[in-house]
Amino acid sequence: MSVNQGDNGSGVLRLSRIGRAWRAAVVVALIALFCAGSLVGNDHWWPFSPWRMFATSQAATGSVWSTGIEVRTADEPGEWVRAPLTPENVGVNRAEVEGRIPQIEADPARLGTLAESHAKLRPGAAAWIGLRVVRHKIVVVDREPTGEVETEVLAEWAAS
Amino acid sequence: MGGVMSVMGRLSAWLFTPMPLARVAVLRWLVYAFVIIDVLLLHTSGWYHGFADPVWYEPLIMGEVFRLPAASVLLVETLKWGCVLGALAALTGKAPRVLGWTVAVCWIWYQYVAFSYGKVDHDRADFVVALALLPTVGLAHLSDRRRSEAAGMALRAIQMAAIATYFLSAWAKLRFGGPEWVNSATMVRAVVRRGTPWAQWLLEIPWTLHWFQWVLMAAELTAPVIFLLSEKWRRRVVAAWFAFHAMTYAAITIAFWPHLVMMLAFLPLEEYADRLRSWWTRRFSSGAAPPGESRPASRPGAGVGCARPSDRRRRRGR
Repeated sequence: MSVNQGDNGSGVLRLSRIGRAWRAAVVVALIALFCAGSLVGNDHWWPFSPWRMFATSQAATGSVWSTGIEVRTADEPGEWVRAPLTPENVGVNRAEVEGRIPQIEADPARLGTLAESHAKLRPGAAAWIGLRVVRHKIVVVDREPTGEVETEVLAEWAAS
Repeated sequence: MGGVMSVMGRLSAWLFTPMPLARVAVLRWLVYAFVIIDVLLLHTSGWYHGFADPVWYEPLIMGEVFRLPAASVLLVETLKWGCVLGALAALTGKAPRVLGWTVAVCWIWYQYVAFSYGKVDHDRADFVVALALLPTVGLAHLSDRRRSEAAGMALRAIQMAAIATYFLSAWAKLRFGGPEWVNSATMVRAVVRRGTPWAQWLLEIPWTLHWFQWVLMAAELTAPVIFLLSEKWRRRVVAAWFAFHAMTYAAITIAFWPHLVMMLAFLPLEEYADRLRSWWTRRFSSGAAPPGESRPASRPGAGVGCARPSDRRRRRGR
């Protein structure tokens, strides 16, 4: 592993031919992987996945979706209240739930695992006996929110 | 053929430009200090996945290749504290390869745990390059004034990865959002979903965010130009990127923290460390040390790569 050849009195540490060669090969491999990930890869390629922060095009007129959860607690079983959809509260975050909406709609029992994680993370809080996923659609016209919000319930789970 | 060889030769000379070992020492210190802050405070979603049901686990390719399991409380605690203890040990500068690669494995795995539940954060990939390549330099002391080709290569690769983040994210916008991305309402969406109170005025004046998208696309596509600039302009561009990230944080509380550490690889960190040290000496032990003693680092021009340090010192008017 040692590749420094000494400084020849010039104050510059040179690399051996082998030391240069494998380093150059590593750089070429990294460039190839990052470029391939950006050209044809997807998120599953991480860390070589495309750098797609804010990369989607949002229509100038349409609606911005925001997903959240509402719960019924053992203390107030008759009332739905909003609960934070955060890792600190349920072990996963909003984007992770938003990405699995089809699976959740197909099997709403999956929402029960969020109540279990909540019980583990917040043992002092009232237990959740019901949980539903709601989607808020914030209407945007010509890049400006109109103030109109549509809300729909996507899936619902109740403790048995 | 001769032309190709000379291009290869120039690329090789550029990649292996000797740079100060002390700069690697300072950058390593910042990187490992950042790892500790990151796993304890900044990016904790991986830890919470230890409490999530495995039904939410969605292995990435890396997980399939290395057969990585779904997170458990034991796994996330091991990785978290492995990062912290490994980074604390690496901060000493001893055994840089063993400790550096230990931190690399722990941190990358911890990020994997965070990203294998359906949401990948797209700002953390370039830091992998820093963690993987900084150990290849071997021993590097803060007071080591020598320059080294190994140090030059590691710093150059980190710079390239940091700049690739900009260029390839512009590419991703074109690939996924299409050319119409610049005229879309993507920034409106970001501010609607997570805008801070002092960013709300942007929604009332829609052209601001619209034009910002054009400026951002242009800046990201031309980011690689930084390698052709003079030292003075290179630093100005780095400062401009830091200003951009500060504005983004103020508007939508998103900061690409590891990437900000990577951008520091463009700066003469060892000079800043020297200046800080001599300020500290003047401030807190005036008269305790004879002038010049234990400060060989502050002699003009000491160990600086391609810049003209004496000019810079004069300009800053010490």
